[in-house]
Amino acid sequence: MPPLRRALVWGIPLLVWAALPFVATRHIVDLLVFAGLYTIAGLGVAFLLGQCGIVSLAQSVFYGIGAYCTAWFCAHKGLPSPVGAAAGIALSTAIAALVGWPILRLSGHFLALATLALGIIGQVLFLEWDWLTGGTLGIGGIPRIAPFGFAFDTPLRFYFLVWPIALLLLVLHHNLLHSRNGLALRAMRDSPEAAAVLGLDIHRLKVQMFVLSAALGSAAGSLFAHYVTFVSVDSFAVDRAISFLLLAVLGGVYTVWGPVLGALFITVLPQWLSRLGDIHAFVFAAALIAAVILLPEGFGGAIRNWWRARAPK
Amino acid sequence: MSLSLLFQSVLSGLTNGFVYGLVGLGLASIFRGTRIINAMQGDFALIGGITAVLLLERFGWPMAPAFAAAVAVGGIAGWLMEVLLIRPLRRRGGSEDSYLLLTLGVAFAVSALVLYTVGRDSHSLPGLGGEGIVVIGDAAIRTHALWLIAISLAAMGALRLFFAKTALGLSMMAAALDADGALTTGINVPLMRTLTFVLGGLVGGLAGVLVGPLVTVYFDMGLLLTLKGFAAAILGGLANPMGAIVGGVTLGLLESLAIVTVSSGYKDVIAMAILIVIMIAMPNGLLGRRLRKGG
Amino acid sequence: MTMGTETVSPLLQIAQVSHSFGGLHVLRGVDFGVPAGSLTGLIGPNGAGKSTLFNIISGFLAPQRGTVRFDGRDITRDTVQTRSRAGLVRTFQTPKVFGKLSVRENLMIGCYRHLASGVVGNMLRSSRSRGEMELMHARATEAGERFGLSEVMERPAGQVPAGMQRLVELARGYVTRPRLLMLDEPSSGLNTTEIGQLRELLQRLNREGITILLVSHDMQLVDVASRVHVLCFGSIIASGAMVQIKQDERVRQAYLGV
Repeated sequence: MPPLRRALVWGIPLLVWAALPFVATRHIVDLLVFAGLYTIAGLGVAFLLGQCGIVSLAQSVFYGIGAYCTAWFCAHKGLPSPVGAAAGIALSTAIAALVGWPILRLSGHFLALATLALGIIGQVLFLEWDWLTGGTLGIGGIPRIAPFGFAFDTPLRFYFLVWPIALLLLVLHHNLLHSRNGLALRAMRDSPEAAAVLGLDIHRLKVQMFVLSAALGSAAGSLFAHYVTFVSVDSFAVDRAISFLLLAVLGGVYTVWGPVLGALFITVLPQWLSRLGDIHAFVFAAALIAAVILLPEGFGGAIRNWWRARAPK
Repeated sequence: MSLSLLFQSVLSGLTNGFVYGLVGLGLASIFRGTRIINAMQGDFALIGGITAVLLLERFGWPMAPAFAAAVAVGGIAGWLMEVLLIRPLRRRGGSEDSYLLLTLGVAFAVSALVLYTVGRDSHSLPGLGGEGIVVIGDAAIRTHALWLIAISLAAMGALRLFFAKTALGLSMMAAALDADGALTTGINVPLMRTLTFVLGGLVGGLAGVLVGPLVTVYFDMGLLLTLKGFAAAILGGLANPMGAIVGGVTLGLLESLAIVTVSSGYKDVIAMAILIVIMIAMPNGLLGRRLRKGG
Repeated sequence: MTMGTETVSPLLQIAQVSHSFGGLHVLRGVDFGVPAGSLTGLIGPNGAGKSTLFNIISGFLAPQRGTVRFDGRDITRDTVQTRSRAGLVRTFQTPKVFGKLSVRENLMIGCYRHLASGVVGNMLRSSRSRGEMELMHARATEAGERFGLSEVMERPAGQVPAGMQRLVELARGYVTRPRLLMLDEPSSGLNTTEIGQLRELLQRLNREGITILLVSHDMQLVDVASRVHVLCFGSIIASGAMVQIKQDERVRQAYLGV
């Protein structure tokens, strides 16, 4: 692609993205911040499904661990935000590795339902262990992220924090896909026997991906805690895990930027539908069903296929 | 722990166990018939339960017709799901993942629909035998619970007869074991698949009206019930749907035991942990035979 | 001074391997060795147990009795991956290529076991990570040329004609720099010309130092082997050069029922 065209293809969306929060209402910017958070968590679920064929409904657990670690270390102990986030990631990845090792030997529906069982276990433990999590009363007073005195305390400011992080993670994901291990992931999905014969340790790769997914969920959770400054169990129930799975499937698990579309969909849609009451949950479910039957590659995949179809080869 | 407390918990474990067994029976039947794990089996129970609630409370139907209709509606839901959703996916070449995502989606949709139309409240259903209690030794069990066990056993027996003795049942088994072979003998295989889902829906709806009087009917009861039913089905061996009842009872008893030894808040955690352990340690159930990779 | 024909133990040694499925004894006490650097054949009529033996050697099946030794080590209970990393690579009767990956990518993935970049390094596009991709790319190109696949490198492997898929699988195995390459019925689906080309290819690979174990029921192909073992009803009934084998009474009976 010629340099000028390339500059336009990347530059214009970038300008739009940068200008958007200044022209939109505070409420919309708030939604867009959530879209950014969900992009990060949803990316974890998306690549697990797209690259490894694993349906994970456990992401809410890691999201919660990240949030609660941040709450604990930053609100209760007054430590700086990187400590909370690092603790969350450390704990999440440890649990993912420990639990993942045995359950990732399962395949197909067994594995998916095992992750759902994990999601429920997490939900109940977050509730029961209220000495740790504050239960339904939650933990408040979580400090803002404020390096060098500049506090990310408004939706506008947080927008410019969360989206660059999300973008960075998408780039890292893209790099992974085009590397030796990314190739290995695609190969093992294609023909597990041939992959085994070439020395690929499928199980180990799956565990690594699961751990990575958990890290993303945790990071998103920590950011979430710093944004809303108050966390309680309601945010980390199984329906949160369902939202992450939904946005992954809708956005498309075979494109790198699919999660962005999915995240935008699930944050913006309830807004439009709010007049009709609590109907958005049903619309989401219907969208999931429609996507599975009609658009198996999600919006992202559909757009990519359309783009490729029109380019004469 | 006193003996009477233990006995009481055995009774309640037994009761719950039969519910899990019924859900598992539906799951295993659908799996055997179509190789699909129906992640919304528990929501068939929700559909049955909520239909009974609506018929009783809003339309003032008497109990027996309302329950019967509720079970029938479960069957209709199964039929609709297979024809409107499963078939199109099959035509488009669904993978194992996509069927799972589809049934999960339907589970969420049913739950969300109930939430939207009826709200978050729990709704109670009258039990068979009303509020009557039967006292056994030092423990008490609701008359309805005894009916539940009896009806579950009857359902299991009826299904067994159906698959072994009736022409339709045998055709369904044949279609499940060897679709191409069944086609050549004139069996309408797509219809058999649809009927499998209808059966699953009926059994699920039955589970709903039976469990409703005990635990009330609420919008998100489906998922947990599905998982516990799945645990029951695996314990009993997915290949043999009747084993799900045995698996369910085992699960129910373990769960009850856990409640009295640990705490009731952790009841679901323990059930879920048991599910995970079973899947890893004995994917072929208690009677375990040839080793499969699970799923 | 030894009087035996081999003073060095064979690269692959099968000892007393037996296996049955249900009541059917598929393999009974199979014994043979594959010397390093050789091109050895294993033939036998259909139903002789070749596939089972093949699966046992490559790690897809654990034998009920007997041992498999590779490079001096007992690998009987090793996983497929462990064997692969030790240099024992096989192909499949129906070529298992990565259909959705391009031919080039199929060949690239052959290098996997020799490289070590981690997931984190991959994400950060470390210099090691980039270097590896270049290496894989170069090796794939080289193998593609050698096996005559240069025209189809960028096409999805699943869309390449069946005969070529076999070459892709072979080339991919070659890229792994195997110690022992095991070929499972590589000639099925090939016409006479193609079989001839395959023979030459195998001879070339063998001259480069790759030990080859060839399992086939096709006499024309197995002719290229220096030593052949005949498997019939689960045991080795004859071993030797192809010329001897063809004249062996028992072999004739097994194949021709004479």
